[in-house]
Amino acid sequence: MTRLTRRQFMRAAGAAAASAWLVGTGCAPQPSATAKPPAAPPTPTVQPSELAAVRGDDAATTEPPAVLPEPTAQPADLAVARGGDPAAITQAALAALGGINRFVKPGQEVVIKPNICVAYHPPEYAATTNPAVVAALVRLCLGAGAARVRVMDNPFGGTAEAAYAISGIAEAVSAAGGEMEVMSPVKYAEFPIPGGKDITAWKVYRDALETDVLINVPIAKHHSLARLTLGGKNLLGLVATPNQFHRNLGQRIADLASLFRPTLTLVDAVRILTAHGPSGGSLDDVKQTNTVIASPDMVAADAYATTLFGLTGSDISYIQAATDMGLGRMDLSSLKVEEVTL
Amino acid sequence: MTWPQARRIRQAVQILFVGLFVGLLLVATSRPAAVPLADIFFRFNPLPALGAMLASRAWIPHLGLALLTLGLTLVLGRVWCGWICPLGVLLEWVSFPKARRRGASLSIRWRNVKYLLLALVVVMAALGNLSLLILDPLALFTRAMTTAVLPAVTYGVNALETALYPIQFVQPAIDWVESGLRGPILPVHQPAFRQNILIATLFGAILALNALAHRFWCRYLCPLGALLGLLSRVSLLRPVISSSCNHCVRCVGVCRPGAIETRQQTQAILPSECTVCLDCLAACPETGVVFQASLRPAPAREFDLSRRQALSALALGTAGVLLLRTQQRHPLLIRPPGAQGEATFRSRCLRCAQCMKVCPTTGLQPALVEAGWEGLWTPVLQPRVGYCDYSCNACGQVCPSGAIPRLTLDEKRQALLGQAAVDRDRCLPWASGVPCIVCEEMCPTPQKAIRLEEATVVAADGLSIVVQRPSVLRELCIGCGICENRCPLEGDAAIHVYGIT
Repeated sequence: MTRLTRRQFMRAAGAAAASAWLVGTGCAPQPSATAKPPAAPPTPTVQPSELAAVRGDDAATTEPPAVLPEPTAQPADLAVARGGDPAAITQAALAALGGINRFVKPGQEVVIKPNICVAYHPPEYAATTNPAVVAALVRLCLGAGAARVRVMDNPFGGTAEAAYAISGIAEAVSAAGGEMEVMSPVKYAEFPIPGGKDITAWKVYRDALETDVLINVPIAKHHSLARLTLGGKNLLGLVATPNQFHRNLGQRIADLASLFRPTLTLVDAVRILTAHGPSGGSLDDVKQTNTVIASPDMVAADAYATTLFGLTGSDISYIQAATDMGLGRMDLSSLKVEEVTL
Repeated sequence: MTWPQARRIRQAVQILFVGLFVGLLLVATSRPAAVPLADIFFRFNPLPALGAMLASRAWIPHLGLALLTLGLTLVLGRVWCGWICPLGVLLEWVSFPKARRRGASLSIRWRNVKYLLLALVVVMAALGNLSLLILDPLALFTRAMTTAVLPAVTYGVNALETALYPIQFVQPAIDWVESGLRGPILPVHQPAFRQNILIATLFGAILALNALAHRFWCRYLCPLGALLGLLSRVSLLRPVISSSCNHCVRCVGVCRPGAIETRQQTQAILPSECTVCLDCLAACPETGVVFQASLRPAPAREFDLSRRQALSALALGTAGVLLLRTQQRHPLLIRPPGAQGEATFRSRCLRCAQCMKVCPTTGLQPALVEAGWEGLWTPVLQPRVGYCDYSCNACGQVCPSGAIPRLTLDEKRQALLGQAAVDRDRCLPWASGVPCIVCEEMCPTPQKAIRLEEATVVAADGLSIVVQRPSVLRELCIGCGICENRCPLEGDAAIHVYGIT
């Protein structure tokens, strides 16, 4: 029998590994619906319940039955600011909620999730969040001593880089001192959703879940199934297979919201898209409403935003489902609302 | 400067070119600044230029740079092969210890295979068929990198990083890599090409043939090498064996293309086979090899194409073209945006695979039989794999020959690729009474080419439910395929884009 030399062995091993690898990539998960999340979920390093504690979510805003007033003067539950300068009304809304320091502590890491769903149109088309609003939030967070502020979304149409650029958000965020992150496939992992009614685990973006502070900045716009894309729907940008949500959209979004529990939600309604959402493309569908709505209670912020379209919270399935799960309050009359006009 | 130094310079130039080639492949997908440079190698490549101009019966100005390569060859010989060609460099690096001995025993006559292939390329191109451009060395390299090597590397890097990312102390390092490379170099979506194994096998075989002889591909098979070899027979400057040769045959030993032959104890350099690598000049202890100007063509050799062989090539090429033409094409054949009809497209497409590399969704895939065998490895859009991005016109920007026209983004948004149609027997709201509007949601056209109609149906649980049923507005649909791509139905989509004829 001839003996295998090391050189021969290395060659054979290399060839075998390379071919295995090729076979692997040839039938690698294609971006189609057939891809299923892996059966064995990686163990999350932090449980969602701990996350809430880490983030400093005050239970008061998310669990209405146990409302506990803040030690000092009771801050507003929801702030609405109106005016022609998007950055100024963003600052005013935060001030009305008691200041950014209520949400961001020095040294914390912040992830801001705007809606940058497509790479198709500039911000005037109201398909993507207003760049001045996002930049103002970045400045506020850095001013409050945040160690790092990252801004990210996973567009469904076009590449992230192209979408970041055409939305104007990339430029505005870097000028404000924040970082744009291209959401990486290596950072998704399956996490349990303990409170989930329909989905009890999902593959989501780890950094957005484990960050100290998550700020949800949707733009208010039309959507054929959900009727409106607001804070709840905006969270779909943080999951690996968003189009698998549509079969039971309302409940699944509420389940997802119970996992992420954004520290702060600010609905950008500087411009709203009234038809042909979420991608838009016609200025005829855009309405200038010069408003932002901010609240630590995502459900409340979403519910208020529906009124801009002549609807109420109960018209939107995910707002109703989130309310039913006790994730927030859609009954606007029960909220302390601060309104500011500049 | 001594010859050994000149040889070093050549090696540096080779590294530079192969680095540039691979570097352009890596960055051209996302760095808009690099895109105009992405096809630079193909613009200097005379084989596809000759083929495309013959087949399309048109002067293609963008490929005019290839004339410089022809001019260079007429002065200095196959400098392209020895200094520039990235595949040539790769084949120089892949060395097998017994290749020299095995190569010496191969008959010199086999060298005419490459001339036969060249003749076939030319005959078929003259009849409007570019199928054999799949054998262009740059196309071979680009295709293998695009469909096999880079996806595999991406997969490996992703798998490694995914495994390591949950470890806390590794996170900053991965974060650093990700923030620098994800997007510009590492694609966000794992590229996957259905024919990667086939293409990698062919490429691997070409590398493996080096075990039989150094630069086996360049000696015996490369049609571009054959074209440049023909010109080298009349090149102005040629290395020749001088009278001070002491017949030590060191030059024969170092010559990778095996261009130096020994007859009756004297050596001679075959100009058509020499790649001007300068190794012989560097190895010669005397001044036995010198560059000499000559206006006389090199003498005919036994590996030249005989008249009989040339006529065979003509017959074979014609028969091939006729057979390939009389084939059915697939109804789902969708060409890249802006393609001007199937015949025009096929007579221009260089099979270079650059469009597939640059496509951000990897929707452009190498065809197997979708366009008949004639269209092997031409690009087809496979919407279930990837859609045509409404914000992208990159394929037209990198296409060297204009098979995919250089459209502005606004023009591309109007370009019709195909037409979508809903399969009502499978569509969730139509067939199953399940609410779904994903196709409409995804449609990028400003007025939405998918109309939703409300209908009250009885769902599986026996209760009435209001669903929105999609149908396609043909006058608005551009055939981008994002609807088919994102249709949440398992397996095949319930909406399909059909090619336009």
